[in-house]
Amino acid sequence: MKTTAVFSAVLSLLTLVSASSSSSTSSDKGTSRVKLSSTFKPPPAFKNANLVHVISVEKNYVKESINVVIENVDKAAQDEYFLPFTADQISRLGGVEVKDRKDASVRPFTVDVVEYDLASDTQYLRIRLPIPLKPKAQQTLGISYYLLKAYSPLPAAINQDEAQFLTYLFSAYCPSVYTTSKQKTEVKFPSANIPDYTKIPGSEDSKDTFPTKQGSKLTYGPFEEKPAGAYEPVQVRFEFTKPVIHVARLERDIEVSHWGGNVAFEERYELYHRGANLSQLFNRVKWAQSQYYNPTSYALRELKFPLRVGSADPYYTDAIGNVSTSRFRSNKREALLEIKPRYPVFGGWKYPFTIGWNSDAKNFLRKLAGGGYILNVPFLEGPKQAEGVEYEQVDVRVVLPEGAENVKFYTTIPDSSITEANVGVHKTFLDTIGRGVLVIKARNLVDDFRERELIVTYDYPFMASLRKPLIVFGSVMTVLVSAWLLGNVELKFNPSKK
Amino acid sequence: MSANSVQVLANAGKGESTRTLLRVIILLLIAGAAIASRLFSVIRFESIIHEFDPWFNFRATRYLVAHGFYKFWDWFDDRTWHPLGRVTGGTLYPGLMVTSGAIYHALRALTIPVDIRNICVLLAPAFSGLTAYAAYLLTNEMTPSPSAGLLAAAFMGIAPGYISRSVAGSYDNEAIAIFLLVFTFYLWIKALKQGSMLWGALCALFYGYMVASWGGYAFITCLLPLHAFVLICMGRYSTRLYVSYTTWYALGTLASMQIPFVGFLPVKTSEHMPALGIFGFLQLLAFLDYVRSAIPSRQYQTFLWLFASGTFGLGLLVLVVATSAGVIAPWSGRFYSLWDTGYAKIHIPIIASVSEHQPTAWPAFFFDLNMLIWLFPAGVYLCFQQLADEHVFIVVYALFGSYFAGVMVRLMLTLTPVVCVAAAIAISNVLDTYLDARSPNPEDHQVDDVSDGTAKKAAKSGLKSTSKPVVGVYSTVSKSIVATAMTAYLLLFVLHCTWVTSNAYSSPSVVLASRLPDGSQHIIDDYREAYQWLRQNTREDAKIMSWWDYGYQIGGMADRPTLVDNNTWNNTHIATVGKAMSSREEVSYPIMRQHEVDYVLVVFGGLLGYSGDDINKFLWMVRIAEGIWPDEVKEREFFTPRGEYKVDADATETMKNSLMYKMSYYNYQSLFPPGQAQDRVRGVRLPDVGPTLNVLDEAFTSENWIIRIYKVKDLDNLGRDHASAAAFERGHKKKKANKKRVARLLRVD
Repeated sequence: MKTTAVFSAVLSLLTLVSASSSSSTSSDKGTSRVKLSSTFKPPPAFKNANLVHVISVEKNYVKESINVVIENVDKAAQDEYFLPFTADQISRLGGVEVKDRKDASVRPFTVDVVEYDLASDTQYLRIRLPIPLKPKAQQTLGISYYLLKAYSPLPAAINQDEAQFLTYLFSAYCPSVYTTSKQKTEVKFPSANIPDYTKIPGSEDSKDTFPTKQGSKLTYGPFEEKPAGAYEPVQVRFEFTKPVIHVARLERDIEVSHWGGNVAFEERYELYHRGANLSQLFNRVKWAQSQYYNPTSYALRELKFPLRVGSADPYYTDAIGNVSTSRFRSNKREALLEIKPRYPVFGGWKYPFTIGWNSDAKNFLRKLAGGGYILNVPFLEGPKQAEGVEYEQVDVRVVLPEGAENVKFYTTIPDSSITEANVGVHKTFLDTIGRGVLVIKARNLVDDFRERELIVTYDYPFMASLRKPLIVFGSVMTVLVSAWLLGNVELKFNPSKK
Repeated sequence: MSANSVQVLANAGKGESTRTLLRVIILLLIAGAAIASRLFSVIRFESIIHEFDPWFNFRATRYLVAHGFYKFWDWFDDRTWHPLGRVTGGTLYPGLMVTSGAIYHALRALTIPVDIRNICVLLAPAFSGLTAYAAYLLTNEMTPSPSAGLLAAAFMGIAPGYISRSVAGSYDNEAIAIFLLVFTFYLWIKALKQGSMLWGALCALFYGYMVASWGGYAFITCLLPLHAFVLICMGRYSTRLYVSYTTWYALGTLASMQIPFVGFLPVKTSEHMPALGIFGFLQLLAFLDYVRSAIPSRQYQTFLWLFASGTFGLGLLVLVVATSAGVIAPWSGRFYSLWDTGYAKIHIPIIASVSEHQPTAWPAFFFDLNMLIWLFPAGVYLCFQQLADEHVFIVVYALFGSYFAGVMVRLMLTLTPVVCVAAAIAISNVLDTYLDARSPNPEDHQVDDVSDGTAKKAAKSGLKSTSKPVVGVYSTVSKSIVATAMTAYLLLFVLHCTWVTSNAYSSPSVVLASRLPDGSQHIIDDYREAYQWLRQNTREDAKIMSWWDYGYQIGGMADRPTLVDNNTWNNTHIATVGKAMSSREEVSYPIMRQHEVDYVLVVFGGLLGYSGDDINKFLWMVRIAEGIWPDEVKEREFFTPRGEYKVDADATETMKNSLMYKMSYYNYQSLFPPGQAQDRVRGVRLPDVGPTLNVLDEAFTSENWIIRIYKVKDLDNLGRDHASAAAFERGHKKKKANKKRVARLLRVD
């Protein structure tokens, strides 16, 4: 587990991001949106000296990374770099992370969505550099982000034993609001089976056309200088005979119990398959036969959850009760939960389900020297699939023991993905004042963030832990005493006394 | 065993409070055992609602919890009986749902986060503990022996006859109704013994609760007047009887009329007339009683005769006229079938098609009651020995209950309480006699006959022939033999009950269990697989047509509108579905279109050997459809000329062309090597060429083929009928290939 040194390092960060703890009102964290006037246009203060755009369509979300050398061509020092997206893309964009490729210690880069004109199709992401870039100076940025719901299957409906092909549309030139001197775009595919892709002519003098294909990789470029806003639509169609898993909503509850020494997890998934629909309705005979002859299918058959070692008592249910098709392998090295949906999930089908498990509090909870507690749990623990999993909406709720106060949290999830965080009250299990519950809502995450941490600190006075036993004891005694008193009341007419 | 320890301690001369404490502990243990023995299915499977009807109750309870009481009361359900709908709030017994709803809200008020499903699953076991207590109270009214009540409670707790309807997950009306039944009887006896208006009112209150919970309340409505009538005939009319009966009847009837489903039935239907008649009769008797005290006895005789015959004749006349005029409804069909067991089979096949409405087979009595069934007459005989008012009740109840239990399997449930009470009286009598450690001393006995409580009891209530030659048993050997034998019987009874509960009554029937070769349990979960598929991957208002057995489950688990369900209130609608299932596709398709059916669901056990499937129920569909359309559906045509019901190559043309047959076996032969397709339920080999379906598409088949779901095709785009469109589709490929080649050649030329 983590050493104390890590904790203390982390503690110093906690002050940076902390939810308003005492008040239970929603503390608006700004939701990473900046409002600007509706006539806003990014100033052409930068130039992209060299740009490599890597688009990875290996998983069922798109990971794009832009490695760019930016140069300040303005006269004053600049600290705001803008990245354009379409309005549609912005709603599906998540997990934006920016770092300096040359010097990792330069941070933090803050990323905001610019809000200026909701009707406009072009929206901007504003990256604020930690140190303003001086005129003529250069800096190498590594910008990476994810796009969800990025593909459309072509053909849109296929038979259940056919291979699935997806298409993705993008621009061969990296969209930018600045002039780009030199750039190329690389596309990485899950396999070398790429039947269709747009070919574009190369530079005016040379005769070769782009892209160049190399195994499961396509490369457009290098291109010469392109003006700001240059756009060259390119569509690729590639084989993806794997499920396109889309989790529309994940609700993740983490309940800490000091008395039980237990941390309970429960996750509710609203899972969709966004791949090709069935052109003919589901045929069980074919399905049973393909299980033997040709097991690759784009239907979702199994999900694997590598849980933290020490997890115990897992359960797997859905709206109508327990699902018996699951296996849990737990030993000193792993705790692997393998679940199967009740039916193979094909494109256009959905399958909501719930899983949960317990873990010893020792694995996650630690007492601090100052008397408070620190809880370190994974922010996300979804299934680990070869094809990847995307999450449109993630609601994490951390239910703390009754009486916990001064709640602060810190997470290594990109700040721009978190839309809301607040501390509310949740009453359960004979609570009188209710438990503090930290609710964090995040958007557009992918399973690459599985290992990211969520660290919560809180104070939990000793008297608060005695509250419930005392109240229960007191109320039971009250009931017994009042029953005894009532039993002593003589209700009958007593003729002998008359 | 419990009686044993009580006796020992009682003989040791402990104080009253120790006995009370001991009794409380024993009762708690009995309640614990009653609850524990009902949890087999939860432990083996999960906390799940069982079978069919409980799914409706569960759905209704969820509706109640989600929408509140008044919405529930006015609930019109448009998701069943499409397109008719059902006035659910007015056609159900709300007691069960309201009970669980109240428990749910009470626990929520204590901020205990409990799922409504778990309350529903565990309601029946919890109430069985209360039933055991009610049996204890009732028995204590019958006999002064302290052990009889405890024995009755223990029997009630674990008797399979009651467990059959109250295992965890069996969330049906009977879950709480049996407790209410026994407790109402206890209150009635209490009221009758004391002539107390308070107890009578309490009795009416619980009777009202009973009416709100179960249609079987008619059993009380008939039994109490019968008891009163027998008492009157025995010349035991008393003001106690008058007070308790009139209080119960007046308040109880008013209470029962508050339930919308019951409404004015208590003054309209024949089932309720005995209670009303006895009520009137008691008024007359009270009046006569008053007259007798006022006038001389000679004139009274004449007055009595004239008055009695006049009233009786008048009453009969009114009853006949009112019945024939239709003011009072004649006896309902279900009621007739109580008198003539063959009635339903001829007139109402839908009632006869339910297995629990069949007459009881003899072994069932032993299966459900074990040794209690032979102790039962002994107990009744002991009641005859004393024959106070309350013992008359047991005798009447025993006769009445035995008859009905013999007529209908389901009514074994109402017999069980009286069997437990009577058997407990018999056993406690034997034990009280034989467990008395002291050897009786004849001289002692003659002198202070009255001194010892237990010895006197044994002597008085025991069989007269044995007790006369002086108080019984001298030899320790015979004592120990009898005591050991009784203990052995009791132990065997416990074993039997546990075995029956575990093997016969603890299967949820939604989930099937099988064993893998290595002995581990494998769960066959096809029902829920298919229901979940329906729930997630079809339109929310997609109408599902299936046989009515699965209506409640589809409503509860798949949450989709159904055409017919287990409520069976509309025989014609069920017959329509039966006709669609048993007719040719061309006949069925218009029916399905008219009812906006999107999917058809059938249960097929052929692959797995699951015998409760639709092909085995098929003849009932045919019979019910034939009842409405005798010209179009004929049962005879589904049998071979030799009178056999066949599904293989010898099946009749009508059978092979019926939609049900086609849906069950469609595409089934392709799962096997040619010529080896086999139906494992009926143990026959199927023809190589399977049926063709023109108007339906196979939409989903569960893993073990138990549930098959078909989608109803839309009208053909080109206006062809489905048969030719499908034939064209099938022949299409060849033609297309030919055409293409020709066309290409032409173009090249």
